[in-house]
Amino acid sequence: MDFTFTEEQALLRDSVARALQRDYSFEARQAIVRSETGWSPEVWARLVELGLTALPFPEEAGGLGGSVVDVVAVAEVFGEHLLVEPYDASIVLAGGVLAAVGRPDALERIASGEAIGALVHEEGRGTPDPALVTTKAERSADGYALTGEKKLVLHGADADVLVVSARVDAGLGLFLVDPSAPAATPFTSVDGRRAAHLRFDGTPGTLLAADAEPLLRGVLDRAVVVLAAEAVGAMGALLRRTAEYASTREQFGVPIGSFQTVAHRLADMKIAFVKARSTLLHTTALAEADRLAPQDVAVLKAQVGRLGRLVGESAVQTHGGVGMTEELPIGHLHKRILAFDALFGATDHHLRRLGAGLREAPVAAG
Amino acid sequence: MDVAPDADLEKFREEVAEFLDTAPTPEIREAGRKTTSVFGPFDQVMAWHRILHARGWSAPDWPVEHGGTGWSVEQRYVFAEEYQKRGLPPLLPNGLRMIGPLLMELGTPEQQARYLPGILSGEDYWTQGYSEPGAGSDLASLSTMAVPDGDDYVLDGSKIWTTYAHHANRMFMLVRTSREGRKQQGITFLLLDRMDLPGLEVRPIIGLDGAPEQCEVFFTDVRVPQANRVGAENDGWTVAKQLLTHERGGSAHSPMLRRRLEVARAAAAETPSGFGGTLADDPLVQRDLGELEAEVASYEHFEKLAISGHPIAQDPAYPSLNKVMSSELTQRISVLMTRVVGLDGLPDQREALHVGSAAEPLGRDLALIAMPYYLNSRATTIYAGTNEVQRDLIARTLRS
Repeated sequence: MDFTFTEEQALLRDSVARALQRDYSFEARQAIVRSETGWSPEVWARLVELGLTALPFPEEAGGLGGSVVDVVAVAEVFGEHLLVEPYDASIVLAGGVLAAVGRPDALERIASGEAIGALVHEEGRGTPDPALVTTKAERSADGYALTGEKKLVLHGADADVLVVSARVDAGLGLFLVDPSAPAATPFTSVDGRRAAHLRFDGTPGTLLAADAEPLLRGVLDRAVVVLAAEAVGAMGALLRRTAEYASTREQFGVPIGSFQTVAHRLADMKIAFVKARSTLLHTTALAEADRLAPQDVAVLKAQVGRLGRLVGESAVQTHGGVGMTEELPIGHLHKRILAFDALFGATDHHLRRLGAGLREAPVAAG
Repeated sequence: MDVAPDADLEKFREEVAEFLDTAPTPEIREAGRKTTSVFGPFDQVMAWHRILHARGWSAPDWPVEHGGTGWSVEQRYVFAEEYQKRGLPPLLPNGLRMIGPLLMELGTPEQQARYLPGILSGEDYWTQGYSEPGAGSDLASLSTMAVPDGDDYVLDGSKIWTTYAHHANRMFMLVRTSREGRKQQGITFLLLDRMDLPGLEVRPIIGLDGAPEQCEVFFTDVRVPQANRVGAENDGWTVAKQLLTHERGGSAHSPMLRRRLEVARAAAAETPSGFGGTLADDPLVQRDLGELEAEVASYEHFEKLAISGHPIAQDPAYPSLNKVMSSELTQRISVLMTRVVGLDGLPDQREALHVGSAAEPLGRDLALIAMPYYLNSRATTIYAGTNEVQRDLIARTLRS
């Protein structure tokens, strides 16, 4: 049993941390969020240069053949720096599907960072379960026509490649759709990322994979691991910054961290962080070994969402008034965690599934 | 990272299962069903300890040279899982997890040779003499005096919360040997070879759960050889802190928590919710059960990281983190047990809880133990340093 990063993974993590410390200060990040595109092609080019966009993909698609552990190692750093570039949307989600269906041709442009992909799956049903997708695809003269509503698609309005889940015949299909075809309502998510609601109204699509439920589950499960790593990175940053603040901010002539109520809140933040990170690393190791069961993903999703919220709210409270401002990263780190919690089934959903005995349920494929 | 399954693990599991199915006597099994504390029924637990020792399995966490099993982390979890599946009573922690590991680190070779075999075999039971009526969380203010006289110390004072002192034949304790300087500096760590020393008196205390688990111990001119000191005179605080890291530190504890949670889950399916179904269908109970299941999982992950050598165990806050997590989870599960057992938990069944009792238990299996377990578990956040003290210690490591 081993839950540590290899020396190589630690080096990769360090080099990403150094690059982001230099190019992605909080002020720089805020300027990027406010920019017209909402993310930075220059920063994206740096990620390409570091090999990060190619990291998890097979070599025949121009990838580096990296593992989920490699991606988790850098995703924690992304979370700490509140990255808004389309890594999750393009590399983890859309790229994840294209790699799983074995489409190196489509994948190559994603892996090189030249094209941005988005996975169009979420429908706001409170669960990521592919079995509950209602968007449907019907055979048409020259392929398929898709009809339905999709919600909170990360980079749904600025992606070059759309991978869409839709019910076809009795199963679930995955489709490629022209990014200009669906009606898009673009917006910025509360955590600073670009996203969109998309409406399909007989929109043409090309079939990527039929009977794709297990495949999509596998991609979503791994994506939850990576997104959880970002949220845990944000939790670590909140803990560090709040501990520093409590040690230096003085009231009544002493650092506020010397008051036992404040000290105990810090201790609770540390306990929450340690639990969440332990579960992240354990679940990552299971994913790497292809031993991820549905309850492992539910536990990770719920623990990081729930404990992350606790850490974020405690950080705002400990910072007092300044914690309420946009000027500090504190609230932004908290909002990244809130976004993680809301996506792919929120805490209560996963906890209730666990409590209702999902443990005894047969392990779904993928 | 590596969690690849070991092909030989299933063979090991069968070997463990076969032994655990056949070795415990009916009384030991009954003791397991009637365990409502970290400290199970004494006679049966010690009998079980000696049976496990005969098989070489009494101390899976110990180094091989002192009689440990040499099992991998995976094997230790398999053993703990199979053990818990059968509801067998846990071995008592004072020897195996506290004074034993401490003597391996800080005892003289003579002390190791003299004491470790009896701890390993279950011949000896050690009680812990730390707290005093005037020294709880502020342990360093302890005042039981040990005055040198010839080759001995002469002890006067009293100790309290000495678990199972009325069953013990040995004791490790902290005494005051100096009132000079800081209060931490005048403390000495002593070993008592026997509990029937002249001037030593043990009085059991009946706890909230009705059980005489805790005791008071009174010392009136009790003579103890100075050779029974661990570490230097007046350096006992260092020794005590070292021991506390073992007391608060980890082993494969999560399988027991998981087992208790499964017992509660099963009981929920037999208790009406008041809304037409059972508590197992109740969304609120499902949500709470799910949260505890997720919490037990995170604790298991934390434990596995620590045991497998992840740097998380080198965190200076590690012993306190472990103590807080494990104790609060124990309490939360005990609360759930009383919730799911409902009215059945109210009859006071302390008579029926004795192994071999003629008293017929009322209600289902969980009804016998849920309430005493819950009441006993209130102590988990008090002993081994209250959780308030643990949070102080964790916060101290965060301050820059």
